[in-house]
Amino acid sequence: MDILKIRDAKDVEQAVQAAIAAEQPLEIVGHGTKRAVGQPTATNAVLDLSALNGVTSYEPNELILTVEAGAPMADIKSLIDSKNQEFDFEPMDTSALLGTASLSGTIGGTIAAGLAGPRRIKSGGARDHLLGVAAVSGFGESFKAGGRVVKNVTGYDLCKLIAGSWGTLAVMTEVTLKVMPKAEHEVTLVLHGLDDVAANRAMSAALGSSFDVSGAAHLPQSAFRGAIGALASLGSQGSVTLLRLEGIGASVTHRANSLTAALASFGKADRCEDTASQAVWVAIRDVTPFAASGPLGAWPVWRIVCPPASGGAFGRELARETGGDVIYDWGGGLIWAALPPSADAHAGHLRAKLAAIEGHATLIRGSDPLRRAIDVFHPHSDGVAALNRRVKSSFDPRDILNRGRMTLVPPI
Amino acid sequence: MSIMMPVPDQAILDRRSSIVAALRAIVPGEGVIDSAAEMQPYESDGLTAYRQPPMVVVLPDTTEQVSRVLRYCHDNGIKVVPRGAGTSLSGGALPLADGVLLGMGKFKRIRDIDYENRTVVTEPGVTNLAISQAVAHEGFYYAPDPSSQIACTIGGNIGENSGGVHCLKYGMTTNNVLGCEIVLISGEILRVGSKAPEQAGYDLMGIITGSEGLLGVVTEVTVRILKKPETARALMIGFPQVEASGECVARVIGAGIIPGGMEIMDKPAIHAAEAFVHAGYPLDVEALLIVELDGPAVEVDELILRVEKIARDCGATTLQISNSEQERLLFWAGRKAAFPAVGRISPDYLCMDGTIPRGKLPQALARIRELSEKYGLGVANVFHAGDGNLHPLILYDANKPGEMDKAEAFGADILRACVEFGGVLTGEHGVGVEKRDLMPEMFSDIDLAQQMRLKCAFDPQGLLNPGKVFPTLHRCAELGRVHVHGGKLAFPDLPRF
Ligand SMILES: Cc1cc2nc3c(=O)[nH]c(=O)nc-3n(C[C@H](O)[C@H](O)[C@H](O)COP(=O)(O)OP(=O)(O)OC[C@H]3O[C@@H](n4cnc5c(N)ncnc54)[C@H](O)[C@@H]3O)c2cc1C
Ligand SMILES: Cc1cc2nc3c(=O)[nH]c(=O)nc-3n(C[C@H](O)[C@H](O)[C@H](O)COP(=O)(O)OP(=O)(O)OC[C@H]3O[C@@H](n4cnc5c(N)ncnc54)[C@H](O)[C@@H]3O)c2cc1C
Repeated sequence: MDILKIRDAKDVEQAVQAAIAAEQPLEIVGHGTKRAVGQPTATNAVLDLSALNGVTSYEPNELILTVEAGAPMADIKSLIDSKNQEFDFEPMDTSALLGTASLSGTIGGTIAAGLAGPRRIKSGGARDHLLGVAAVSGFGESFKAGGRVVKNVTGYDLCKLIAGSWGTLAVMTEVTLKVMPKAEHEVTLVLHGLDDVAANRAMSAALGSSFDVSGAAHLPQSAFRGAIGALASLGSQGSVTLLRLEGIGASVTHRANSLTAALASFGKADRCEDTASQAVWVAIRDVTPFAASGPLGAWPVWRIVCPPASGGAFGRELARETGGDVIYDWGGGLIWAALPPSADAHAGHLRAKLAAIEGHATLIRGSDPLRRAIDVFHPHSDGVAALNRRVKSSFDPRDILNRGRMTLVPPI
Repeated sequence: MSIMMPVPDQAILDRRSSIVAALRAIVPGEGVIDSAAEMQPYESDGLTAYRQPPMVVVLPDTTEQVSRVLRYCHDNGIKVVPRGAGTSLSGGALPLADGVLLGMGKFKRIRDIDYENRTVVTEPGVTNLAISQAVAHEGFYYAPDPSSQIACTIGGNIGENSGGVHCLKYGMTTNNVLGCEIVLISGEILRVGSKAPEQAGYDLMGIITGSEGLLGVVTEVTVRILKKPETARALMIGFPQVEASGECVARVIGAGIIPGGMEIMDKPAIHAAEAFVHAGYPLDVEALLIVELDGPAVEVDELILRVEKIARDCGATTLQISNSEQERLLFWAGRKAAFPAVGRISPDYLCMDGTIPRGKLPQALARIRELSEKYGLGVANVFHAGDGNLHPLILYDANKPGEMDKAEAFGADILRACVEFGGVLTGEHGVGVEKRDLMPEMFSDIDLAQQMRLKCAFDPQGLLNPGKVFPTLHRCAELGRVHVHGGKLAFPDLPRF
């Protein structure tokens, strides 16, 4: 295994050019915390970006941050935290789920994975907060896209494509992100004992209200098998449905009262606030009920995205049919499913069912042999798959970058 | 016309009558227009300084027809320019002499309203405002609100990634669309995204949005809708210097307040607007800042106090707070009508659209004033101040020889200044033909090559809307060539572990 430790952006260009010349695919790695996601890549050359870790500029009053792509998430979070700001897309920390070291991960890996947290329903995902990028394409050329301002339609919005592309299009060397002020206050309403379908209805009602709900999750009773951390306190009465309200004090109180009244037919809502509430949402964001160290640690985990109002019925049936466990975020639009091990981790069954509701599923945790055997990323229709291959080629015609990471059959 | 368009292909023009006949076989009846008189309304879009009659106008009304028209054009090497309502301010829908103008105006049906999923599925010719109106009785709306929303279509909004005064808080088009049906130039019909909050795989929707009709023709759109905030109130704040209004904006954002909208108008814009709509704007101030706060009443009341305090600290000399919905709308009336209002005080105007970092507002304004003197042309400024998006309106008279060229040179200098201040050429109106030749101010040849390669993935022959966005056209084969550097030496002088 050849690990190339990059010192600066110029090195990235040089390494990719050399890889093109040598017909040697590269695996792109920040801290490598998510190397176990995606199809196993077919290469023994690793491009390690962790030394590209500087902060280029941070202007809290502009709500703009520019950093090198290998900058550690931990450092960046404490930097923006010091100005009481955060990433509005609430990116997840995958370490509990994947069983990797905590306190690791780079901003480049976070953007490339594009795994947004609970606030996505209100504030969007990584793609909505990446304003600009400097990167090296599979042509071995340094290019930039986007800018350093929030509003920009100059040229194609390549940032959208690069966010969530798992390093298959270009190696990011620098990223500019939007940051947002943290909310002054947060309250979570907790409804007890709803089944998945009723909970889905409650969440839809809350998200269809004017109360600016910034988190809507449902944990069936089974999620508390492990009774892990912050969630333990919630589970004593069975399933819980959680609705988060954030903002200035008086507003949050008003909205919490109004929403409680509006949802009265679903039962009486308890509340948890501020640090307790934050801890609960971190646990949901990071999917701790399915933690690698927990009772379901050996089960494959799927990340299913579907129209929110279809989530409850879909998840309940999936759990019943497979004997698996599910938890819901995004008002039902995101289902995390831990399914009992089987030859294909139920991929065929799951995806056939999803076709009916126009949803899609990505395997986030699975063994190497499993990930070699099935499509980790959701397969597309022929037309879209062909277009995606052309898009990949337009950035990386020799398939140098993360070859085979997103597709079961290498495209070229 | 000072911008060169691709030279018309005489061989295509020679075949015009057979092309028209072939198109009539696909879109029957009135859907194909080829008389000069009837094509006239399609000669230009909102950038009226540029006019060009198309070879033929086609108005399909089914996806199947769009697909067949595009396949025919693809197979016959004919250029196609998609058009919504033709309100683009950058010439995105400017026809080509040897091209088909594909008008999407007949795609006027809203196909599905789903309050449970908070989505609307609509055809692309539906106007922006009509989407909000269709869901208003349930208290919902579609957030991006370009000032042209009565006329512009959702398809055109996708083309330009349009914004509006509320996009500071609620995002641009790209942040509010979930999926679409798109027809490629080959005629292939693809579905991208769905009612799900996120797409699978590459974010194709993100790249289609803002692609100015160069990647495909959108035939259906899925947007997300929001419940209207409980209340909205606005402050109208006057400042004796424009700089102070800019400072106030920076401090509001710095204090962690993200208003629903935050707009500045300078003195010429205030006067033009007041004369037009009589909104009660103060006429003795240099800048007027309108800040709208929305949410529950308790929140709005609290934030109004905070903004008021910041404004007074920044030296505001007048300050009014709306006490009724009627009054709020009146505050906005002048701002929303700023373009037509300026149209009344000057025979012609050019609307620019650069974005700068918010903090650079005072410098940018000073530069615009200098340039105004240099060129001897007046300028009225309106800004989406919250996100640093400037709309200087350059006043000129096209009937005076040389003035239009002067106005364009002035505009180009403003946009260069935006880039110099760390900003960009366009915040919401798109590149089109207007800013096409300025692209190298912001992007290197390599940056542009990478964008054009993406275009090749959708349209390898370059038949969709050529002459827009990119200053020079390259063949896809040339763009796709990989330059192999330095023989087969693997990874020279990099540290290994
Ligand atoms: C205190 C703390 C809090 C954290 N909180 C969060 C959080 O809120 N949100 C969050 O997302 N993460 C958080 N993390 C880290 C998170 O769990 C992931 O580990 C991290 O985001 C992934 O980074 P990585 O460098 O390990 O990715 P890797 O596994 O190295 O890479 C992931 C993918 O991205 C690609 N990639 C990596 N770098 C680049 C690049 N420069 N250009 C192109 N592609 C690239 C890889 O090829 C791979 O496909 C946190 C970590 C700490 C320490
Ligand atoms: C008075 C006035 C005020 C304005 N205010 C604003 C504002 O506040 N904010 C703002 O952002 N813009 C504003 N605009 C600009 C303009 O209204 C927007 O760009 C709008 O989105 C254009 O929509 P349209 O339907 O008119 O599209 P067109 O002008 O017809 O087309 C715009 C572009 O989209 C492409 N296109 C259109 N339909 C499709 C389709 N179905 N498939 C693929 N491509 C397509 C075209 O090829 C073209 O490149 C304003 C314009 C005017 C005249």
